[in-house]
Amino acid sequence: MNLDFSQIVPYIPFMLEGIWVTLKFVFFAIILGSILGTLLALFKIGSVKPLRWFADAYTSIFRGTPLILQLMIIYYSIPQLTGYDISPFLSAILAFGLNSSAYISEIIRAGIQAVDKGQLEAAQALGVPYSAMMKDIILPQALKNILPALMNEFITLTKESAIVSTIGYLDLMRRAQVVGADLFRNFEPLLFVGLIYWCLVMGLTVIGRMVERRLKLSD
Amino acid sequence: MIDVQALSKKFGNNLVLSDITTSIQKGEVVAIIGPSGSGKSTFLRCLNLLETPSSGTIEINGKNLTSSKKEIHKIRQQIGMVFQHFHLFPHMTVRENLMYAPMKAKGVKKYDAEEKAHQLLERVGLAQKADAYPNSLSGGQKQRVAIARALAMEPELMLFDEPTSALDPEMVKEVLEVMKDLAKSGMTMLVVTHEMGFAREVADRVLFLDHGVLVEEGEPESFFKHPTSERARDFLDKVL
Repeated sequence: MNLDFSQIVPYIPFMLEGIWVTLKFVFFAIILGSILGTLLALFKIGSVKPLRWFADAYTSIFRGTPLILQLMIIYYSIPQLTGYDISPFLSAILAFGLNSSAYISEIIRAGIQAVDKGQLEAAQALGVPYSAMMKDIILPQALKNILPALMNEFITLTKESAIVSTIGYLDLMRRAQVVGADLFRNFEPLLFVGLIYWCLVMGLTVIGRMVERRLKLSD
Repeated sequence: MIDVQALSKKFGNNLVLSDITTSIQKGEVVAIIGPSGSGKSTFLRCLNLLETPSSGTIEINGKNLTSSKKEIHKIRQQIGMVFQHFHLFPHMTVRENLMYAPMKAKGVKKYDAEEKAHQLLERVGLAQKADAYPNSLSGGQKQRVAIARALAMEPELMLFDEPTSALDPEMVKEVLEVMKDLAKSGMTMLVVTHEMGFAREVADRVLFLDHGVLVEEGEPESFFKHPTSERARDFLDKVL
Protein backbone atom coordinates (compact mmCIF):
# COMPACT_ATOMS: atom_id res chain seq x y z
CA MET A 1 0.00 0.00 0.00
CA ASN A 2 1.40 3.29 -1.10
CA LEU A 3 -0.47 5.88 0.93
CA ASP A 4 1.22 8.82 2.57
CA PHE A 5 -0.93 11.58 3.96
CA SER A 6 2.02 13.39 5.50
CA GLN A 7 2.96 14.60 2.03
CA ILE A 8 -0.16 16.74 1.66
CA VAL A 9 0.31 18.46 5.02
CA PRO A 10 2.08 21.54 3.56
CA TYR A 11 -0.76 21.92 1.07
CA ILE A 12 -3.56 21.77 3.62
CA PRO A 13 -3.91 25.56 4.06
CA PHE A 14 -4.05 25.92 0.27
CA MET A 15 -6.80 23.34 0.03
CA LEU A 16 -8.72 24.67 3.02
CA GLU A 17 -8.82 28.06 1.34
CA GLY A 18 -10.90 26.31 -1.32
CA ILE A 19 -13.75 25.92 1.17
CA TRP A 20 -14.24 29.64 1.20
CA VAL A 21 -13.86 29.92 -2.57
CA THR A 22 -16.42 27.18 -3.17
CA LEU A 23 -18.85 28.46 -0.56
CA LYS A 24 -18.64 31.99 -1.90
CA PHE A 25 -19.99 31.19 -5.32
CA VAL A 26 -22.35 28.46 -4.10
CA PHE A 27 -23.87 31.03 -1.75
CA PHE A 28 -24.51 33.55 -4.51
CA ALA A 29 -25.72 30.82 -6.86
CA ILE A 30 -28.27 29.65 -4.29
CA ILE A 31 -29.49 33.23 -3.76
CA LEU A 32 -29.78 33.83 -7.50
CA GLY A 33 -31.41 30.44 -8.05
CA SER A 34 -33.93 30.97 -5.25
CA ILE A 35 -35.01 34.44 -6.34
CA LEU A 36 -35.23 33.49 -10.00
CA GLY A 37 -36.85 30.15 -9.17
CA THR A 38 -39.57 31.85 -7.10
CA LEU A 39 -40.26 34.30 -9.91
CA LEU A 40 -40.47 31.49 -12.47
CA ALA A 41 -42.79 29.52 -10.18
CA LEU A 42 -45.07 32.55 -9.90
CA PHE A 43 -45.04 32.87 -13.69
CA LYS A 44 -45.97 29.21 -14.03
CA ILE A 45 -49.01 29.41 -11.76
CA GLY A 46 -50.00 32.91 -12.92
CA SER A 47 -52.62 33.77 -15.49
CA VAL A 48 -50.38 35.67 -17.93
CA LYS A 49 -49.83 33.25 -20.79
CA PRO A 50 -46.60 34.65 -22.31
CA LEU A 51 -44.94 34.54 -18.88
CA ARG A 52 -46.09 30.96 -18.44
CA TRP A 53 -44.63 30.00 -21.80
CA PHE A 54 -41.41 31.75 -21.00
CA ALA A 55 -41.06 29.95 -17.66
CA ASP A 56 -41.84 26.58 -19.22
CA ALA A 57 -39.39 27.11 -22.06
CA TYR A 58 -36.74 28.30 -19.62
CA THR A 59 -37.15 25.22 -17.45
CA SER A 60 -37.09 22.93 -20.45
CA ILE A 61 -33.80 24.40 -21.73
CA PHE A 62 -31.93 24.51 -18.43
CA ARG A 63 -33.11 21.08 -17.32
CA GLY A 64 -32.67 19.61 -20.76
CA THR A 65 -28.97 20.33 -21.25
CA PRO A 66 -25.90 19.40 -19.18
CA LEU A 67 -24.82 21.87 -16.53
CA ILE A 68 -21.21 21.61 -17.60
CA LEU A 69 -22.25 22.64 -21.11
CA GLN A 70 -24.12 25.67 -19.77
CA LEU A 71 -21.08 26.62 -17.74
CA MET A 72 -18.79 26.37 -20.77
CA ILE A 73 -21.18 28.30 -22.97
CA ILE A 74 -21.37 31.14 -20.47
CA TYR A 75 -17.64 31.20 -19.82
CA TYR A 76 -16.51 31.00 -23.44
CA SER A 77 -19.32 32.60 -25.41
CA ILE A 78 -19.69 35.84 -23.48
CA PRO A 79 -16.12 37.02 -24.26
CA GLN A 80 -16.49 35.85 -27.85
CA LEU A 81 -19.84 37.56 -28.42
CA THR A 82 -19.54 40.71 -26.35
CA GLY A 83 -15.86 41.17 -25.76
CA TYR A 84 -16.48 41.26 -22.03
CA ASP A 85 -13.93 39.09 -20.29
CA ILE A 86 -16.13 37.28 -17.81
CA SER A 87 -14.41 35.89 -14.73
CA PRO A 88 -14.72 32.22 -13.77
CA PHE A 89 -16.37 33.37 -10.54
CA LEU A 90 -19.16 35.26 -12.30
CA SER A 91 -19.62 32.52 -14.90
CA ALA A 92 -19.97 29.98 -12.12
CA ILE A 93 -22.59 32.03 -10.27
CA LEU A 94 -24.54 32.59 -13.47
CA ALA A 95 -24.42 28.99 -14.67
CA PHE A 96 -25.31 27.46 -11.31
CA GLY A 97 -27.86 30.14 -10.43
CA LEU A 98 -29.66 29.96 -13.77
CA ASN A 99 -29.55 26.18 -13.81
CA SER A 100 -30.80 25.61 -10.30
CA SER A 101 -33.55 28.22 -10.71
CA ALA A 102 -35.15 25.86 -13.23
CA TYR A 103 -35.21 23.06 -10.66
CA ILE A 104 -36.19 25.34 -7.78
CA SER A 105 -39.08 26.80 -9.77
CA GLU A 106 -40.53 23.31 -10.19
CA ILE A 107 -40.15 22.58 -6.49
CA ILE A 108 -41.81 25.86 -5.50
CA ARG A 109 -44.59 25.46 -8.04
CA ALA A 110 -45.45 22.06 -6.62
CA GLY A 111 -45.29 23.52 -3.12
CA ILE A 112 -47.64 26.38 -3.92
CA GLN A 113 -50.11 24.07 -5.59
CA ALA A 114 -50.11 21.81 -2.57
CA VAL A 115 -51.26 24.62 -0.27
CA ASP A 116 -54.94 24.22 0.57
CA LYS A 117 -57.03 26.23 -1.87
CA GLY A 118 -59.05 27.48 1.08
CA GLN A 119 -56.08 29.57 2.18
CA LEU A 120 -56.21 31.46 -1.07
CA GLU A 121 -59.96 31.90 -0.82
CA ALA A 122 -59.76 33.08 2.77
CA ALA A 123 -57.17 35.69 1.82
CA GLN A 124 -59.20 36.77 -1.20
CA ALA A 125 -62.38 37.01 0.83
CA LEU A 126 -60.58 39.30 3.25
CA GLY A 127 -59.63 41.57 0.37
CA VAL A 128 -55.89 40.95 0.70
CA PRO A 129 -54.06 41.93 -2.51
CA TYR A 130 -52.47 39.14 -4.58
CA SER A 131 -48.84 40.03 -3.93
CA ALA A 132 -49.29 40.27 -0.16
CA MET A 133 -51.26 37.03 -0.15
CA MET A 134 -48.49 35.19 -2.00
CA LYS A 135 -45.75 36.62 0.19
CA ASP A 136 -47.39 36.28 3.59
CA ILE A 137 -49.89 33.43 3.27
CA ILE A 138 -49.12 31.05 0.41
CA LEU A 139 -45.31 31.04 0.09
CA PRO A 140 -44.56 30.56 3.81
CA GLN A 141 -46.84 27.53 3.89
CA ALA A 142 -45.44 26.21 0.62
CA LEU A 143 -41.91 26.66 1.94
CA LYS A 144 -42.65 24.48 4.91
CA ASN A 145 -43.75 21.61 2.69
CA ILE A 146 -40.91 21.87 0.19
CA LEU A 147 -38.05 22.46 2.58
CA PRO A 148 -36.66 18.90 2.30
CA ALA A 149 -36.78 19.05 -1.51
CA LEU A 150 -35.19 22.48 -1.46
CA MET A 151 -32.39 21.35 0.84
CA ASN A 152 -31.81 18.45 -1.52
CA GLU A 153 -31.36 20.90 -4.38
CA PHE A 154 -28.91 23.01 -2.36
CA ILE A 155 -26.91 19.92 -1.45
CA THR A 156 -26.76 18.83 -5.07
CA LEU A 157 -25.65 22.30 -6.05
CA THR A 158 -22.91 22.31 -3.45
CA LYS A 159 -21.51 19.01 -4.66
CA GLU A 160 -21.93 19.69 -8.36
CA SER A 161 -20.08 22.94 -7.82
CA ALA A 162 -16.95 20.82 -8.33
CA ILE A 163 -17.37 21.07 -12.08
CA VAL A 164 -16.31 24.73 -12.05
CA SER A 165 -12.83 23.29 -11.79
CA THR A 166 -13.16 22.74 -15.55
CA ILE A 167 -13.04 26.47 -16.25
CA GLY A 168 -10.07 27.00 -14.01
CA TYR A 169 -11.87 28.39 -11.01
CA LEU A 170 -9.74 27.60 -7.97
CA ASP A 171 -12.38 25.81 -5.92
CA LEU A 172 -11.88 22.82 -3.64
CA MET A 173 -11.84 20.33 -6.48
CA ARG A 174 -9.39 22.31 -8.59
CA ARG A 175 -7.09 22.73 -5.63
CA ALA A 176 -6.99 18.99 -5.08
CA GLN A 177 -6.00 18.55 -8.70
CA VAL A 178 -3.29 21.21 -8.41
CA VAL A 179 -1.87 19.53 -5.32
CA GLY A 180 -2.10 16.14 -7.01
CA ALA A 181 -0.14 17.40 -9.99
CA ASP A 182 2.46 18.94 -7.72
CA LEU A 183 3.00 15.78 -5.68
CA PHE A 184 2.44 13.20 -8.39
CA ARG A 185 -0.01 11.67 -5.92
CA ASN A 186 -3.70 12.22 -6.49
CA PHE A 187 -5.44 9.93 -4.10
CA GLU A 188 -4.60 11.77 -0.86
CA PRO A 189 -5.63 15.28 -1.89
CA LEU A 190 -8.79 13.96 -3.57
CA LEU A 191 -9.69 12.04 -0.44
CA PHE A 192 -9.01 15.13 1.63
CA VAL A 193 -11.33 17.42 -0.32
CA GLY A 194 -13.86 14.60 -0.49
CA LEU A 195 -14.01 14.72 3.27
CA ILE A 196 -14.43 18.50 3.16
CA TYR A 197 -17.35 18.23 0.69
CA TRP A 198 -18.98 15.70 2.98
CA CYS A 199 -18.60 18.06 5.95
CA LEU A 200 -20.10 20.94 3.97
CA VAL A 201 -23.11 18.82 3.04
CA MET A 202 -23.52 17.66 6.64
CA GLY A 203 -23.49 21.32 7.69
CA LEU A 204 -26.23 22.09 5.17
CA THR A 205 -28.24 19.12 6.41
CA VAL A 206 -28.05 20.36 9.98
CA ILE A 207 -29.10 23.87 8.96
CA GLY A 208 -32.02 22.37 7.01
CA ARG A 209 -33.16 20.39 10.04
CA MET A 210 -32.99 23.48 12.22
CA VAL A 211 -35.07 25.55 9.82
CA GLU A 212 -37.56 22.70 9.50
CA ARG A 213 -37.96 22.55 13.24
CA ARG A 214 -38.54 26.29 13.42
CA LEU A 215 -41.22 26.14 10.76
CA LYS A 216 -42.94 23.28 12.57
CA LEU A 217 -43.53 25.58 15.54
CA SER A 218 -47.15 26.19 14.53
CA ASP A 219 -48.09 22.49 14.48
CA MET B 1 -78.14 46.48 0.23
CA ILE B 2 -77.68 43.47 -2.03
CA ASP B 3 -79.56 43.23 -5.27
CA VAL B 4 -79.23 40.06 -7.32
CA GLN B 5 -80.71 40.00 -10.82
CA ALA B 6 -81.04 36.89 -12.96
CA LEU B 7 -77.87 35.34 -11.58
CA SER B 8 -76.75 32.16 -13.33
CA LYS B 9 -73.64 30.08 -12.93
CA LYS B 10 -72.40 27.25 -15.08
CA PHE B 11 -69.55 24.86 -14.42
CA GLY B 12 -68.86 23.62 -17.92
CA ASN B 13 -72.23 22.50 -19.19
CA ASN B 14 -73.57 22.03 -15.71
CA LEU B 15 -76.03 24.73 -14.73
CA VAL B 16 -75.52 25.21 -10.99
CA LEU B 17 -77.50 28.39 -10.49
CA SER B 18 -80.29 29.39 -12.74
CA ASP B 19 -81.83 32.81 -12.94
CA ILE B 20 -81.77 33.79 -9.30
CA THR B 21 -83.30 37.13 -8.44
CA THR B 22 -83.56 38.40 -4.91
CA SER B 23 -82.56 41.29 -2.70
CA ILE B 24 -81.37 41.59 0.85
CA GLN B 25 -81.94 44.59 3.09
CA LYS B 26 -79.47 46.07 5.51
CA GLY B 27 -79.65 44.36 8.89
CA GLU B 28 -81.48 41.36 7.53
CA VAL B 29 -80.52 37.82 8.51
CA VAL B 30 -81.19 35.43 5.66
CA ALA B 31 -80.86 31.65 5.90
CA ILE B 32 -80.21 29.80 2.67
CA ILE B 33 -81.29 26.18 2.83
CA GLY B 34 -81.76 23.31 0.45
CA PRO B 35 -80.52 19.82 -0.33
CA SER B 36 -76.82 19.30 -0.99
CA GLY B 37 -75.85 20.16 -4.52
CA SER B 38 -78.64 22.70 -4.76
CA GLY B 39 -76.23 25.58 -5.39
CA LYS B 40 -76.49 27.27 -1.98
CA SER B 41 -72.76 27.60 -1.48
CA THR B 42 -72.15 28.62 -5.07
CA PHE B 43 -74.76 31.36 -4.67
CA LEU B 44 -73.04 32.63 -1.55
CA ARG B 45 -69.61 32.49 -3.18
CA CYS B 46 -70.86 34.52 -6.12
CA LEU B 47 -71.67 37.37 -3.75
CA ASN B 48 -67.98 38.08 -3.14
CA LEU B 49 -66.86 36.80 -6.51
CA LEU B 50 -65.07 33.73 -5.25
CA GLU B 51 -67.09 32.32 -8.13
CA THR B 52 -67.58 34.43 -11.22
CA PRO B 53 -71.23 34.47 -12.30
CA SER B 54 -71.87 33.27 -15.84
CA SER B 55 -74.61 35.85 -16.32
CA GLY B 56 -76.75 38.23 -14.34
CA THR B 57 -75.80 41.10 -12.09
CA ILE B 58 -75.04 41.54 -8.42
CA GLU B 59 -75.16 44.97 -6.86
CA ILE B 60 -73.89 45.63 -3.38
CA ASN B 61 -74.62 49.10 -2.03
CA GLY B 62 -75.33 50.20 -5.59
CA LYS B 63 -71.97 48.92 -6.89
CA ASN B 64 -72.11 46.37 -9.66
CA LEU B 65 -69.77 43.56 -8.66
CA THR B 66 -69.20 41.95 -12.01
CA SER B 67 -68.25 45.17 -13.76
CA SER B 68 -65.90 46.45 -11.06
CA LYS B 69 -63.32 43.70 -11.00
CA LYS B 70 -60.55 46.19 -10.38
CA GLU B 71 -62.17 47.29 -7.16
CA ILE B 72 -62.95 43.79 -6.05
CA HIS B 73 -60.46 44.01 -3.18
CA LYS B 74 -62.23 47.06 -1.82
CA ILE B 75 -65.64 45.45 -2.14
CA ARG B 76 -64.48 42.20 -0.56
CA GLN B 77 -63.15 44.14 2.40
CA GLN B 78 -66.73 45.08 3.21
CA ILE B 79 -67.91 41.49 3.00
CA GLY B 80 -66.83 39.07 5.68
CA MET B 81 -66.84 35.38 4.86
CA VAL B 82 -66.80 32.36 7.14
CA PHE B 83 -66.02 28.98 5.61
CA GLN B 84 -67.07 25.48 6.51
CA HIS B 85 -63.46 24.47 7.07
CA PHE B 86 -62.38 27.72 8.79
CA HIS B 87 -59.30 28.33 6.63
CA LEU B 88 -57.41 30.06 9.40
CA PHE B 89 -53.81 30.85 8.52
CA PRO B 90 -51.98 27.97 10.25
CA HIS B 91 -48.59 29.68 10.40
CA MET B 92 -49.92 32.67 12.32
CA THR B 93 -51.14 32.90 15.89
CA VAL B 94 -54.79 33.62 16.55
CA ARG B 95 -53.99 37.28 17.18
CA GLU B 96 -51.96 37.53 13.97
CA ASN B 97 -54.82 35.91 12.07
CA LEU B 98 -57.05 38.75 13.21
CA MET B 99 -54.52 41.51 12.65
CA TYR B 100 -53.17 40.48 9.27
CA ALA B 101 -55.89 41.54 6.85
CA PRO B 102 -56.75 44.89 8.49
CA MET B 103 -53.07 45.84 8.44
CA LYS B 104 -52.27 44.56 4.96
CA ALA B 105 -55.48 45.35 3.11
CA LYS B 106 -56.73 48.44 4.91
CA GLY B 107 -53.52 49.90 6.27
CA VAL B 108 -54.70 49.85 9.87
CA LYS B 109 -51.94 50.70 12.36
CA LYS B 110 -50.48 47.79 14.28
CA TYR B 111 -51.56 49.15 17.64
CA ASP B 112 -55.16 49.65 16.49
CA ALA B 113 -55.29 46.23 14.86
CA GLU B 114 -54.08 44.64 18.07
CA GLU B 115 -56.65 46.53 20.12
CA LYS B 116 -59.41 45.47 17.75
CA ALA B 117 -58.22 41.86 17.75
CA HIS B 118 -58.32 41.83 21.51
CA GLN B 119 -61.87 43.21 21.60
CA LEU B 120 -63.11 40.69 19.08
CA LEU B 121 -61.47 37.74 20.79
CA GLU B 122 -63.11 38.87 23.99
CA ARG B 123 -66.40 39.03 22.16
CA VAL B 124 -66.15 35.44 20.91
CA GLY B 125 -64.83 34.30 24.29
CA LEU B 126 -61.31 33.39 23.20
CA ALA B 127 -59.15 36.17 24.60
CA GLN B 128 -57.00 33.59 26.39
CA LYS B 129 -56.13 31.92 23.06
CA ALA B 130 -54.64 34.99 21.40
CA ASP B 131 -51.12 33.54 21.29
CA ALA B 132 -52.13 30.00 20.37
CA TYR B 133 -51.72 28.60 16.87
CA PRO B 134 -54.91 27.48 15.10
CA ASN B 135 -53.87 23.82 15.09
CA SER B 136 -54.10 23.73 18.88
CA LEU B 137 -57.76 24.83 18.90
CA SER B 138 -60.92 22.76 18.76
CA GLY B 139 -63.20 23.03 15.74
CA GLY B 140 -65.63 25.30 17.53
CA GLN B 141 -62.85 27.57 18.70
CA LYS B 142 -61.40 27.70 15.20
CA GLN B 143 -64.72 28.77 13.78
CA ARG B 144 -65.16 31.47 16.42
CA VAL B 145 -61.70 32.76 15.56
CA ALA B 146 -62.64 32.69 11.88
CA ILE B 147 -65.73 34.77 12.63
CA ALA B 148 -63.63 37.21 14.64
CA ARG B 149 -61.11 37.38 11.80
CA ALA B 150 -63.84 38.33 9.35
CA LEU B 151 -65.24 40.91 11.79
CA ALA B 152 -61.80 42.48 12.21
CA MET B 153 -62.26 43.99 8.75
CA GLU B 154 -65.41 45.72 10.04
CA PRO B 155 -67.56 44.37 7.23
CA GLU B 156 -71.06 45.57 6.46
CA LEU B 157 -72.16 42.11 5.48
CA MET B 158 -71.24 38.62 6.64
CA LEU B 159 -71.48 35.46 4.56
CA PHE B 160 -71.49 32.12 6.34
CA ASP B 161 -70.90 29.01 4.25
CA GLU B 162 -72.14 26.07 6.32
CA PRO B 163 -70.28 27.34 9.39
CA THR B 164 -71.21 24.41 11.62
CA SER B 165 -71.16 21.51 9.16
CA ALA B 166 -67.59 20.46 9.88
CA LEU B 167 -67.98 20.64 13.65
CA ASP B 168 -68.49 17.92 16.20
CA PRO B 169 -72.07 18.13 17.50
CA GLU B 170 -71.08 19.46 20.91
CA MET B 171 -69.32 22.43 19.33
CA VAL B 172 -72.15 23.60 17.13
CA LYS B 173 -73.83 25.55 19.88
CA GLU B 174 -70.91 27.79 20.78
CA VAL B 175 -70.60 28.89 17.17
CA LEU B 176 -74.33 29.45 16.77
CA GLU B 177 -74.34 31.53 19.95
CA VAL B 178 -71.72 33.85 18.48
CA MET B 179 -73.75 34.11 15.29
CA LYS B 180 -76.93 34.88 17.21
CA ASP B 181 -75.13 37.65 19.06
CA LEU B 182 -73.95 39.02 15.79
CA ALA B 183 -77.46 38.93 14.36
CA LYS B 184 -78.77 40.81 17.40
CA SER B 185 -76.15 43.50 16.90
CA GLY B 186 -77.78 44.32 13.57
CA MET B 187 -75.27 42.73 11.21
CA THR B 188 -76.53 41.84 7.76
CA MET B 189 -75.99 38.10 7.44
CA LEU B 190 -76.41 35.43 4.80
CA VAL B 191 -76.11 31.96 6.21
CA VAL B 192 -75.99 28.74 4.22
CA THR B 193 -76.96 26.20 6.82
CA HIS B 194 -78.35 22.82 7.67
CA GLU B 195 -79.29 24.02 11.15
CA MET B 196 -83.02 24.35 10.74
CA GLY B 197 -83.39 25.40 14.37
CA PHE B 198 -81.06 28.30 13.80
CA ALA B 199 -82.80 29.31 10.59
CA ARG B 200 -86.14 29.25 12.33
CA GLU B 201 -85.06 31.13 15.39
CA VAL B 202 -82.65 33.73 14.06
CA ALA B 203 -83.37 34.32 10.38
CA ASP B 204 -85.69 37.05 9.18
CA ARG B 205 -86.13 35.26 5.91
CA VAL B 206 -85.45 31.85 4.42
CA LEU B 207 -84.37 31.18 0.84
CA PHE B 208 -84.96 27.64 -0.33
CA LEU B 209 -82.83 26.50 -3.27
CA ASP B 210 -83.12 23.27 -5.17
CA HIS B 211 -81.21 22.31 -8.34
CA GLY B 212 -79.94 25.84 -8.69
CA VAL B 213 -83.39 27.39 -8.63
CA LEU B 214 -84.70 29.71 -5.96
CA VAL B 215 -87.85 27.74 -5.34
CA GLU B 216 -89.32 29.56 -2.41
CA GLU B 217 -88.59 32.39 -0.01
CA GLY B 218 -90.42 33.65 3.00
CA GLU B 219 -90.47 34.25 6.71
CA PRO B 220 -89.23 31.28 8.69
CA GLU B 221 -92.48 30.80 10.61
CA SER B 222 -94.64 30.42 7.55
CA PHE B 223 -91.97 28.63 5.52
CA PHE B 224 -91.41 25.92 8.07
CA LYS B 225 -95.09 25.52 8.90
CA HIS B 226 -96.62 25.85 5.49
CA PRO B 227 -94.12 25.51 2.69
CA THR B 228 -95.95 26.26 -0.54
CA SER B 229 -93.83 24.24 -2.95
CA GLU B 230 -93.75 20.49 -3.27
CA ARG B 231 -89.96 20.42 -3.22
CA ALA B 232 -89.67 22.41 -0.02
CA ARG B 233 -92.21 20.12 1.63
CA ASP B 234 -90.22 17.07 0.55
CA PHE B 235 -87.02 18.57 1.85
CA LEU B 236 -88.47 19.60 5.19
CA ASP B 237 -90.01 16.17 5.63
CA LYS B 238 -86.55 14.65 5.32
CA VAL B 239 -84.67 17.00 7.61
CA LEU B 240 -87.13 17.82 10.37
